[in-house]
Amino acid sequence: MRTLAILTWSAIKMFARNKQALFFTFFFPILLMTVLGLINFDKTSKIDVGLVLTGPPNQATAQFVGALKKIDFFTIHEGIETDERQALVDDKRAAVFIIPWSLIPGPSKVTVVSNVGNPQGAATALNIISGMLDKTALSITGASNFFNVINEEVNTHHLKYIDFLLPGLIALSVMQMSVFSVAFLFVNYKEKGVLKRLIATPMLPSIFVTSNVITRMIVTLLQTTLFIALGVFIFHAHVIGSYWLIFLIAVLGSIMFLGLGFTISGIASTVESVPPLANLIVFPMLFLGGTFFPVDSFPAWLGHIAKYLPLTFFSDAMRSVMTKGYTISQISNDLLWMFGWAIVMVVLANITFGFEEKRQ
Amino acid sequence: MENIIEVKNLAKKYGSFTAVDGINFSVQAGEVFGILGPNGAGKTTTLEMIEGLKPMTSGEAVLDGHNVSRETRLVKSLIGVQLQSSSFFDALNLKELLEIFASLYNRKVDAMELLREVQLDEKWKAQVKELSGGQKQRFSIAAALVNDPKVLFLDEPTTGLDPQARRNLWDLVTLINKKGKTVVLTTHYMDEAEVLCDRIAVMDHAHIVAMDTTENLLKMPGLSTIARFRVDKPLVDGARLKTLTGVTEVEHEDHTYRLTTDNSEATLADLFKFGREAGFKLLDLQLHQPTLEDVFLKLTGHALRD
Ligand SMILES: Nc1ncnc2c1ncn2[C@@H]1O[C@H](COP(=O)(O)OP(=O)(O)OP(=O)(O)O)[C@@H](O)[C@H]1O
Ligand SMILES: [Mg+2]
Repeated sequence: MRTLAILTWSAIKMFARNKQALFFTFFFPILLMTVLGLINFDKTSKIDVGLVLTGPPNQATAQFVGALKKIDFFTIHEGIETDERQALVDDKRAAVFIIPWSLIPGPSKVTVVSNVGNPQGAATALNIISGMLDKTALSITGASNFFNVINEEVNTHHLKYIDFLLPGLIALSVMQMSVFSVAFLFVNYKEKGVLKRLIATPMLPSIFVTSNVITRMIVTLLQTTLFIALGVFIFHAHVIGSYWLIFLIAVLGSIMFLGLGFTISGIASTVESVPPLANLIVFPMLFLGGTFFPVDSFPAWLGHIAKYLPLTFFSDAMRSVMTKGYTISQISNDLLWMFGWAIVMVVLANITFGFEEKRQ
Repeated sequence: MENIIEVKNLAKKYGSFTAVDGINFSVQAGEVFGILGPNGAGKTTTLEMIEGLKPMTSGEAVLDGHNVSRETRLVKSLIGVQLQSSSFFDALNLKELLEIFASLYNRKVDAMELLREVQLDEKWKAQVKELSGGQKQRFSIAAALVNDPKVLFLDEPTTGLDPQARRNLWDLVTLINKKGKTVVLTTHYMDEAEVLCDRIAVMDHAHIVAMDTTENLLKMPGLSTIARFRVDKPLVDGARLKTLTGVTEVEHEDHTYRLTTDNSEATLADLFKFGREAGFKLLDLQLHQPTLEDVFLKLTGHALRD
């Protein structure tokens, strides 16, 4: 136990003193987040407005609707109330106006449902449309009687690109750190004879491996915390779900990719052969693992491959919890797949990786 | 004296290649035992099997009463090992490294004291990669001493070092041995074996070709000393040189003579007597005494280093 503690502490020191590892573990992902966060992928040119008519419109109402449709920075969606309300909850509308079929100032109530998650859009829609209603009222009654506008606010999760990016970026960084920091280190140890020197002592190889695994779990938790903090405080990302669940997913993801890291350490015989070997597996996942683009935006055949990649389950689970607030049972499918992948990787690592020289 | 290591019929095969072919030897507690042999003789393989690092193909090794194959971890805890080529973790300093190594034996160590013993206390903050060759070897020995081992194994501790660093390391090994530790080392330097070892096993092509105390090996019959000298005037009775006690061969070129003898003391006494009687002076007298190199040549028919 004392041996494990001392070895773990040393492994942490070694990690912290390795500038290259620190760069790729912490600063590179932050850099990536900054660059992608500064590009505004969210520029929506039009404001989506829902329109619900309580009945076939009379002439005045029809005129009003006609005028509304002419405003070119609105996209007007006409529909029934339940559909439009749902669309708003799904963040597809900035505001929904519920308008009586006959617009008679005074008794007619106009209800505005505004999307709190998209305050600018809602406010713009509300301003313009109530202005128009006022003018309509004026022209009908000659002042005095205005429409009764009731504003109703609905909380939605207005998702920006950063919200999509952040969970994927965490998964990606944990993957990169786990695979490369282990593979580079252990192949180097193997090549230089450090492992051989270690097994010349009574130390059990499993203790040494464990100390390195624990170290990387700690780094995983640091990465997750740091990226979430930056995402939330600097880029105003939204994190809705449970932090415990987020950490659990991160650790499970880390185990999966540490297994891959050790497998590569077992196969590669020189440090130079680590990057090509690791990238053969890791590189496709950078693009197909759902970090930067949603998996359902791929062509079908590619999507079928992409959706079974370890990183895809990892980023999907992260994203479901962070942006949709899913609970553990709602992401059980992702977790089971991750668990399965973790077992596969750890078994492979046990087969390929050993302290002893291969040439016996 | 008790035997701290006993090796019986120890063999190692790599596929069909035999690296160590059923060797037998024992090492006594407290001695410095050397395995001398050319590249590829099987020295490292032998050592690593005794250290529990390489599985044996057949035979057995017993260290301090424990069978190496069956009680590998226990044996590892009793020995200190310097590998022929090993390195340590980057990013940690010497003191940290020794503390980690001690923890692998579940021990605590006074790292600074140990570094002082190998004259590296001033370098405690340095990393291994910042050390010179000789310093690296001394550190490697320090790391092998963290568990206060009964037996210290050194695999070619001075290969690649300059003469001063070698001598420095010899002093260290002698000091460690004086403190009661048994030392087993391999080398391809005869002078090193001569200076350090109480007993030597000469190894060649997977076999031990000779094993004895260093003294006895050098007294092996058939090894001869060569005396070279110049004389101040031509010898009238040169043929008399051939009759001096012990002389087996005489060669000369102008005033320079070369006598081969298997009894150097008697030959020299006779030579001085001859000089006084014949009235010539000996100039530049040089004696070349038999070395392990000669022993090796004699035993195997080829030179140790080629
Ligand atoms: N892992 C291995 N696989 C195959 N052959 C090996 C292996 N290790 C060593 N050998 C062979 O076994 C023989 C003995 O090697 P060993 O390392 O014991 O020699 P050595 O006496 O220590 O030589 P040196 O003085 O060069 O260190 C050599 O011919 C070597 O090529
Ligand atoms: Mg060797």
